[in-house]
Parts: sequence; structure tokens; C-alpha cells
Amino acid sequence: MGVDFEPRIVAFMCNWCTYAAADTAGVSRMQQPPNVLPIRVMCSGRVSPEMVLRTFRAGADGVLVMGCHIGDCHYNSGNHRTAKRIPLLRNLLSYAGINPDRLRLAWVSSAEAPRFVEVTNEFIKTIRALGPLSQGVTE
Amino acid sequence: MATLIIDGQEVHAEEGQTVLEVARANGFEIPTLCYHPQLEPYGACRLCIVEVIRRGRSRLETSCTYPARDGLVIKTKSPPVIEARAVILGLLLSRCPNVPVIQELALEYGITEPPFPVEDPEEKCILCGLCVRTCHELVKADVLNFSQRGIERRVGPPFLEKTRQCIGCGACTIVCPTGAIEIVLEQAGIYKEKPLGPTAAIWVPSLQAVPRVPVIDTDACIRFRQNDRTEGEIADACGVCQMVCEAGAINFDQQDEVVEVDVGTVIVATGFQMWDPAQLSQYSYGKSPNIITGMEFEHLSNAGGITSGEILLADGRKPEQVAIIHCVGSRDHNAHEYCSRICCMYSLKQAHLVRDKTDAAVYEFYMDMRAFGKGYEEFYERVQEEGVVMIRGRGAEVEVLPDGKLRVKGEDANLGRLVYVDVDMVVLSTAIEAPHDANQVAALFGLSRSVDGFFAEAHPKMRPVETNTGGVFLAGAAQAPKDVPDTVAHAGAAASMALALMDQGEVTISPAVAVVDEELCSGCKTCISLCPYTAISFIEEDNVARVNEALCKGCGTCVAACPAGAIEALHFTDEQIVAQIEGVLAWV
Amino acid sequence: MAERHRADLLISCLHGRYPELIPTLQEEIERRGLTGEVGVVEAGCRGLCAMGPVMLIKPGGLFYTNVQPADVPELVEETLIKGRAVERLAYKEPVTHQSVCYYEDIPFYSKQVRHVMHDCGMIDPQSIEEYIAVGGYQALSKALTTMTPKEIIEEVKKSGLRGRGGAGFSTGWKWEATRQSAGDVRYAIANGDEGDPGAFMNRSLMEGDPHAIIEGMVIGAYAIGNVRNAYIYVRDEYPLAVSNLNIALEQAREYGLLGEDILGTGFDLDIKVVRGAGAFVCGESSALMQSVEGKVGEPRPKHYHATERGLWGQPTALNNVETWANIPLIINKGAEWFASFGTENSKGTKTFCLAGQIQNTGLIEVPMGITLREVIYDIGGGIPGGRELKAVQTGGPSGGCIPASLLDLPVDYDSLVEAGSMMGSGGMIVMDDRTCMVDIARYFLEFLKEESCGKCSPCREGIRAMLEILTRITEGQGKMADLETLETLAKTVQTASLCGLGKSAPNPVISTLRHFRDEYVAHIEDKKCPAGVCKALIEYYIIEDKCLGCGLCRRKCPQGAISGEKKEVHVIDPALCIKCGICRDVCKFDAVGVR
Repeated sequence: MGVDFEPRIVAFMCNWCTYAAADTAGVSRMQQPPNVLPIRVMCSGRVSPEMVLRTFRAGADGVLVMGCHIGDCHYNSGNHRTAKRIPLLRNLLSYAGINPDRLRLAWVSSAEAPRFVEVTNEFIKTIRALGPLSQGVTE
Repeated sequence: MATLIIDGQEVHAEEGQTVLEVARANGFEIPTLCYHPQLEPYGACRLCIVEVIRRGRSRLETSCTYPARDGLVIKTKSPPVIEARAVILGLLLSRCPNVPVIQELALEYGITEPPFPVEDPEEKCILCGLCVRTCHELVKADVLNFSQRGIERRVGPPFLEKTRQCIGCGACTIVCPTGAIEIVLEQAGIYKEKPLGPTAAIWVPSLQAVPRVPVIDTDACIRFRQNDRTEGEIADACGVCQMVCEAGAINFDQQDEVVEVDVGTVIVATGFQMWDPAQLSQYSYGKSPNIITGMEFEHLSNAGGITSGEILLADGRKPEQVAIIHCVGSRDHNAHEYCSRICCMYSLKQAHLVRDKTDAAVYEFYMDMRAFGKGYEEFYERVQEEGVVMIRGRGAEVEVLPDGKLRVKGEDANLGRLVYVDVDMVVLSTAIEAPHDANQVAALFGLSRSVDGFFAEAHPKMRPVETNTGGVFLAGAAQAPKDVPDTVAHAGAAASMALALMDQGEVTISPAVAVVDEELCSGCKTCISLCPYTAISFIEEDNVARVNEALCKGCGTCVAACPAGAIEALHFTDEQIVAQIEGVLAWV
Repeated sequence: MAERHRADLLISCLHGRYPELIPTLQEEIERRGLTGEVGVVEAGCRGLCAMGPVMLIKPGGLFYTNVQPADVPELVEETLIKGRAVERLAYKEPVTHQSVCYYEDIPFYSKQVRHVMHDCGMIDPQSIEEYIAVGGYQALSKALTTMTPKEIIEEVKKSGLRGRGGAGFSTGWKWEATRQSAGDVRYAIANGDEGDPGAFMNRSLMEGDPHAIIEGMVIGAYAIGNVRNAYIYVRDEYPLAVSNLNIALEQAREYGLLGEDILGTGFDLDIKVVRGAGAFVCGESSALMQSVEGKVGEPRPKHYHATERGLWGQPTALNNVETWANIPLIINKGAEWFASFGTENSKGTKTFCLAGQIQNTGLIEVPMGITLREVIYDIGGGIPGGRELKAVQTGGPSGGCIPASLLDLPVDYDSLVEAGSMMGSGGMIVMDDRTCMVDIARYFLEFLKEESCGKCSPCREGIRAMLEILTRITEGQGKMADLETLETLAKTVQTASLCGLGKSAPNPVISTLRHFRDEYVAHIEDKKCPAGVCKALIEYYIIEDKCLGCGLCRRKCPQGAISGEKKEVHVIDPALCIKCGICRDVCKFDAVGVR
């Protein structure tokens, strides 16, 4: 765990809200660290628990799932599923030897580019504090 | 139908008409003071007397009350009639020597001086009862009535005291022929103190309204207000508009109705609303009738407005100095941070109007002059040449001085010092903002809103009229503050987009849909209930789920949920996503 | 008097004075053990108001005037126990000062023809039995059981009865017009809103014989048809009339003479008393009906007669209470009998109130066509103090003044109108030579100014203007041009006003200008008031050769303006004199003059 630890964070972003927010943040030239690796999905509801686990296994130090605010879902109720799945998965993560804090769910609407930056920065800080996810070691 | 002779001319009368109605319909002039076509005739002023000859007997009768019976001979200008009218006018002029309408009528009958002077020359009421009848018959408030008898007779509310029955409609002041009634408002601001505001409860919304028909302001309309007061019972008040409308176009029963139309495309052009400057107390809006918003200035300067386009102060004087303050509520961390875009140019136009219509000095407090459009800069220069004083710097505060003058404080950034300007009128160029109910519209169409509250376009650069909901487009200030040319351009684009979509006759849908691998599907039906679009149906005979591709929007919720991993989202397959994940992780 | 008495004492004309008279009488009767033998009744008006309280003793017809509580012991002792007349209390003939003990011998009554007022003061008004005992409700029974409505109307038409309220419209025609107007609901109203100052005919009738009015109304309602509700409009200043009428109505209902199925004929009618607040204008028919409807009593234009659109817009027969009270007489005795009294166009009898400068002020009933001379000198006993008659004012405040030169004018509708006055409801004010006619006109206009409802401008403003001019004249500020202005104003107010009150309001001015123009001229040109009334124009002085120095005037003068030694000629100090006229009134030697 050195000072040069740069967390690798995979962010699942819904196409309509968070991805647009990230886009706006970019267009707006907001400062963003390069630690966040965006994966676009049509809806946060597309993100299955298995996908999150596979992401950790692939070497991510943290996983962000981001979607529209409840009520704003482009697909009416896709994020309702997300809202159930991700907290459940967080509870199960420790059984897999992963600190639940490495997984975070956040709602960021397309108008909230500043919030996007804020949420990601904060998550990066959290993961930086937790250090790299060591494969095969229970945290 | 009755036939009668008026001043030697044969005229015809409808059933139920009075002699006055018939005479006036045929162009005979008969003076009246207590008559109003919408009220029951009263016969009090007696000015409308005519000579009625019936069955050989001649009498003086009031034409406003006398039924137009068959065979009557009427003389409207015979010597007894003229003499009686002259005496009556002499008596009325004696009662009210300073009422112009009486003076004029009396003059017509050769009376210039009150023949029987009274002690109180300020009396204005001739007790014609128009106000009493209006209040009783039309307004149905029954606030006014007579008290006392004879020469002591007075008009007023019960015990001549303030009463809550009075709805303050002002109908009595309108019908009063002599100007004897005034409405005193306890709260400043509506009728007298401000040269703006409603004049009547029925008006054409704007001069350019399409269709150009009047609407009834149900908050001001006597009929609707009285119905509200009677709690469900129909008060049946007023209705004068209905009585006078020859086309029979007034229908009080008309209700808001919900019309359902099936459409393929929707253009959201819900516009903006004016920001309320009372939210920032430093501008003192509401504390003086001469502090008005840009929109109110438009009412004032409109030729169809209540001052007929004259720019006047609340007390009817012409202003000598006018200050226009830009960016009120715009570019302000305490209100809206964005630029409302239109204010600079309309402020310049208003400065031009003030210079054009009055001799007032105009001071513009501006932060930056955003004359960005075609010909705008040239107009800015022209206004400067007209002598408008441009002060660069935010107008910080407006103070109402004890004498009613308004002191505008601000910073002149060019001179680097504070400036104080005392003016008669302040025009606040207020911000425009998203309508207060934009969130409801957004929910209705699945739209997103930008930070400023306006509806978000699909892409700020590449797709400025589309939204993320297919077939829904934005036009004009619903998307962001725009001036007229920009709005027209934006709306044209929206219309084109909508037309292009409709012209195709078919919709191209995204290929990113879910498919079920029927070999793997166990028929557990988990996916069925998850789909927001009921795009997945269960095929009984094959015991599998199947996705209707036309209905599927490709959200992938079912994919994530399928316990058998039997569903794949095309273009967003697990494999593709995992490859992406591995790719990005490997790359870092 | 449900029980039989040996004698009944009918007391009238208490005027609210001596409220203890009747209790004193009852006590005395009880003390003398006459209870059950002698009844005491407060009866209706006997007409001789000037001499009230009066007492009529039945049977026998002994008649006492000015009965006071102090007279009670002597009266009971002498008359009730010993059966002798107390001559001291008898009527004194005004000229000869002879005592007249019996009712029938009193000239005041013997010259009258009392039909409508016949039972007034003769029966207990609160007892329906007494009314029935004198033949009451016979006409009702006759009309309802033996006559068709048309026959009744024919009979009333034939009788020539004209409205007793003053306008003199034929009652029969009015009923017929009401009957012929389309309407499932019609109304009948009795006008008891007597507003003329000094008039109390209607009041006396309503107080003294309420059943006669009710009987007449039931007959009328039956004749008009579709009348289920009728109203008697009484001003609230007449509380006794209101209560007697209400008692009578209740009794009539009990007896099946009112209410549902009257006398078993299937005819329904109820009558209610409506109390008015005492506005003069509410005697005007349209204002009265507004008032009955619960609205402000102000007149409406009458282009449709009340017989077509009256109360609540329905056909309505509105008659004076006296008119209604005449109906039972006509039905009982026949139209011919009724028409045998009066003149060709004015049939029957009429009640009048004699007031003013006359010996016998009071209520009288005379046949139509009697001359003013007979009324004033024979019945009224002439002018007190032997002074000259100057004028008679008839028709109430808006009537006119008839000069003494027309003393032989027959009293009927048409003659009075011709003379510039009107019948009115029957007020008759007698004026002597000490009455200033300008001042009288001013006085009546003052009254009318107060009573004009103020709705229409000619009446409201015109009366004010005329009054101001008249006041100016009486103050010596008049100009000759004022007379012309007065005439113009009067003409316009007369022709252009809305209702009868306004149209007749200038009558006092017009009639005095017509008959007494010289008095106006004297006020204006000579600055003198010939009658010595208008204070600004007169001066009181002592006529030296008449003054005996008795000192009475000096003692009575409220200002101490008169001085003089005993038995020497007194002097009035004009600077102190307020021209109240007391000295002139008290001087027994006519030594106070006015110039």
C-alpha cells in the first residue's frame, strides 16, 4: 500500500442519466481523476450481481453503479430493480471476502455533472483509503 | 307587435318593450340618468318623461317604465316635456352643482346656474339607484341600499359602515352616472395605486392573441366570485356579458375539458415564467407602485393597455427619470445563475420607448451588454445615441424615499465608485425561469431537466431539439431562455424533426433488444413481471418466455435477473460488457 | 259582555289619559256591590274626541263627557244606584250652554248619519258575540250562501261605492277588474295605513269595529275569487288597532268565519295583519304592497294597475278599511238603500275627522253631498271664540285649502277636486282668521318633505325647493317672481312625480296660491302677515284703549317682555318679545294686537 496506489474503479453508468452527466462533466471541462473507468449500460437495471463480482475478479478495486434518480428512470422502473439488488449484494460481499464499501450505488441525473464529479471523487478517496483489493485475501 | 307614433313617425315595438327602448331603437333622443339597459327600470330621475297620449288623454310619463302599447302617441319634445325636464334638471343641478354630466344636460335645456342652491355644493349623488339596483340585481351582493327618506335619503351599505358583504367588484362605480362612488382599497396595489392590473373581468389576453377572443377572468368575474361565495348554490349574479352578446357566445357553463388525442410525436413548448423580483428584497418590488417589472412595463406601454400606451406613474404624472436595472434575478447566486438572454435587448427597447414617449432621463444599470444577435449591436448604439445613460455595474438596491421618489444605488464599474440616482420609476429587467410546474411536465414525458430547471435536450450540441424520449421534442424557452428569433429557429427545427419522424411512417427502433435463448429458458417467468413494457410473454406450448422486439426498449433488467442466464441484451451482452471491463482494467 | 248585565258603561276616547279611570270605576262598582250587575267596557270611538273621556250607559243612552276618576263615586252613586243623571257631566251645547243628557239628543250626533261607525263605541270591539248580536256576519252568511260572486260584484257596483281612501275609484269596478285578471292567486288588502296628521277615522274603525272590516274582506275575497290570503296593513303607531284586529281575526277563525271551509261553503280565506313602520308614503298603494312584500316602502311606476299586477305580481284588490267596512251594509241592506244616501256620483256616507279651529273636534260620519257649512257649523259647533272661518283643508297634507267663500260646497269626490282639493281619507282641518295661509302651505310642505320617500327627483328636490321659497316668503324675503317659480315648480312636481304622494304634494301650494294669492302678495310686497302668524313680519302691541291693566299677559310672558303697573296700560318691549303669541291668547279683552 504505497503512496502511488491508484485505485481502479469501474463505474456502470446508465445511458440516460449518469452517462449524460459524465458527458456533460467532460464537455464542461470539469476536473476528473482518471481512476474511474466507465462502462455504459442502457439501464442500471442491466447490472447483475454476477457482473459486479466478475468486475472485482477482473481486478477492480471498487465498483460504482450509477443510474437515474428513483422516478426518473428512462424505463420507468428499471432502477427500482437496481435499488433492490445492489444493497443486497453489498450484504453478501463480505462472504466473498470483499469489503462492502468497495461497492457503491449512486443516483446521478443528467443535469448533475458536478454531482457526478463529487460522487466519483469521494468514492476514489474511499477506495484509496481501503487500498487495493488483494485477490484471495479476505478483508 | 304594437304600432305607435313617436313625434309623428310610426314605429313598431316588440312585446315587452318600453317606450324608451322603442324610441332609442328608432333614433329618438331621450335623456336619462337612472336608466341602464341591463337593469330593471326604476323611474326615479324622471328625465325621460315624454308626453303619452292614450285614448285621447295626454299625460307625462317616464318612457323608461311605460310599456309600448299599441296605438300610443308619444311626443318626446313637446313644450310640457321640455318644461318639466328643464325644471327637473334645474332641481338636480341645484342638488349637484359640480357634477359635469348634470351641468352638460342642464346646459342643453338652457340652465347654467343652479336655480335653488343648496348648502353642500360637493354633493354628487342624485339617488338614481343605479348602484343599488346593480348591487341587488346583477352582483346579488345587496350591499347598497337607500336609507332615510326624502331629502335625507342616502345610498350606502347598512348603517353606512364597512361590510364584508361587499366583494369590491366596483360595478357600482361603473354604473354611477355622476362619479359619486369611490372604491377605497385597504390593501394597496390593485386598482388605483397602480396603473396596471385588470380593468374588467373579461378581456382579450393580448392584442396578438390567437384566436382573438375574450376570456373571462373567473377570479375577477362577479358571477364566478359570487358562485364561489354561495358554496355550491348558483348565485346567478351579473351575466351582463351574456345579455349584451348578440352572438350568444358567452357560456358560463363551459368547463375545462380533457381532450384525448392519439399522436406519434409531441413538441414540448411550455415556455417560461417571469421570476418574481419580490424574492430579492433589495429591489423593493411591491413597496412602491412605481417599481415595476419589464413585463408590467410592456402592459403599460401597450397601446391597448389601460393608459392607452402612455407611460405614466401611478398618480397619473409623466415620469421625469426612469431607471432600468438589468440582470434582476439573473446571473445572481441568490437567484438564477444563468443569463436570461433576453433582458438586455428588451431593456434597450424599453429605454428607447421611454425616450420616445416621454422626456424622461433614462438610466440603464447593466453588468454586460449582451447584444449578440443580428442588428442588436446597432440598436444598442442607437439607444446610446438617444441619450440613455449607461451605467456599467449591477443595480444593487432600490430605496423608496419618503416623498415617493426612488433611489437606485449601484456601482459604476467603469468609474470604480458607487452611484446614487433618484428616479420616478424603476423598471426591473427580471429573469425568466422554467415554469413552476415543469417537473410535472417532465414526469409526464420522461424528460430530464438541466440544472437551471429547463428541459434538457438529448445532447447540448448535437441534438438540441430532441429529448431522450423518442418522438418528444423541445421548442423555444422550454429548453432554455431564448429571444424571439432563436425561439422561432428552435421551433422550426423541432417541427422539422417531428415531421421527419412522421413522414417516415415507421419508426426505427434500436437494435439493442433482449432475446431469449429458448434452449436455456426454464420457463420460470421471473422476467415476465420485471419488464416495464410487458414485452415478454410466456409461450405456454413451448414453456418458454419470448421477447416482443418491437416493444422491448433494451433496458436489460430482465437480462440481469434471469436465473438461467437465458436472456441476452443484444449489443450489451454479458460477454461484451465483461470484455469492456477486462479491457479497461487491463488498459490502466 | 258575555254575561247579562243590568247596565253597561261604555267608555271611549280615553286618549291614554286617565288610565286609572276604568280601574277606579271597577273598584267603586265592587265596593258598592254591583259586580255582575254592571259591566265596564272600553269601547271604540264615539267621535266626540274633544270631550273625552266619554261614557255611554246602556240601556237608556245616558251620555257623559269629560269623565274623570274623581267623578266616579258621584257617578256610581247617582246614576247606577239612584238612577239619576249627573247633569254636571252632561254634554254642554256650545252656544246656549244647555246640558244635553241623552246621546240621541246631542246635535253633534243627530245631524250625522252613522252607518259605518254605527257600532263603533256601542259594542265591545274585543267580543265577536257582541258584533254578531248587532247583526254582524249576517252579510257574510248571506253573500256566501245565497249570492254568486258576480251578483256580489254587481250589487257593489250598483251601490255606487267609491274608494274611501281618497282617490274614489269605483269599488265594484276594481273588484271586477281583479276578478277578470288572469291568475290562480289573487290578493285582497285593506289599507289601514292612515298617515295624515290629525286623521284617525281608520284607526277608530279598526279599534272600534274590527269585525266589520273582516266581514267586508271575506265577502270581497269570495267575490273576487282565487283569494286565499288577504292582508290588513296597519301602521304600528296603532297598537290597539293591531291587537283588536288580531283578537277579532282569532275569534273569526274560531267561529268558522275565517280559515278553511268558511261556514261550510268550502271557501277558504285567511287574513293577516301586516304592521307598517309608519311611513306616510306607505299609504300609497304600490309602496304599501312593497312594504307587505317586506321591501322598502317606496312606490313603483303604476303602468299596470294593481288589479293586474299587484302584490307579488298577482292581481290584487286594495281598498281602504272604511271601504271594506261598507260592504256588509250594502249586502245586508241592498245597493238601493246604500245609494239612497249621497249625491249622484258619490254614494253613501263618509267619515271625517274634524280638527283645527272648531268647537267639536272629533270623528263624524255624514252622507256624501252635505255642505261644508253643515259640517262645520251644525255638527262641528262652529269656530271657537266666535272667530271667522277662513278655510277648510281637506284631503290630508297633500290636499288643498277650500276658502270660506265656498262654504256651501257639497262634500263629494268631484266637487272637492274641482275646488282644488280632494277627498283624501277624510281629514278636515278648519282654519280661522288667525291662520296664515302661506304658513299653512309651508307647514304641510314641511310634513311632506319629511315624508317623501325621496325616490324620484321632482318630489324630493321639488318639495325642498318649494319649501325654501315658502320659508323665504314667510320670513319677508320673498320676491314677486317667487310666485311664478312656485307655480312652475308645483306644476312639474304635480305632473312629473312618480306616485300619488308626489303628484299631490304641491296641492297646498297650488290651492293657497289660487284662493289666497293676496296673502302671498301681502307677505312679499307689504312685508306683512295679515293673519299675524309669520314671526318675522309681525309685532305684538297692546291696544291702549282696550287694556285694563289686569297683568295676566305680564305674568304669562316667558320673556318678561311686558311691563306695566296694575290697572294701567301695559307695554310690550319689541326687543325682548319672541312673538310666541301667549299674551294674545291669554288676554281676555282682545287688547293684544298684531301688526
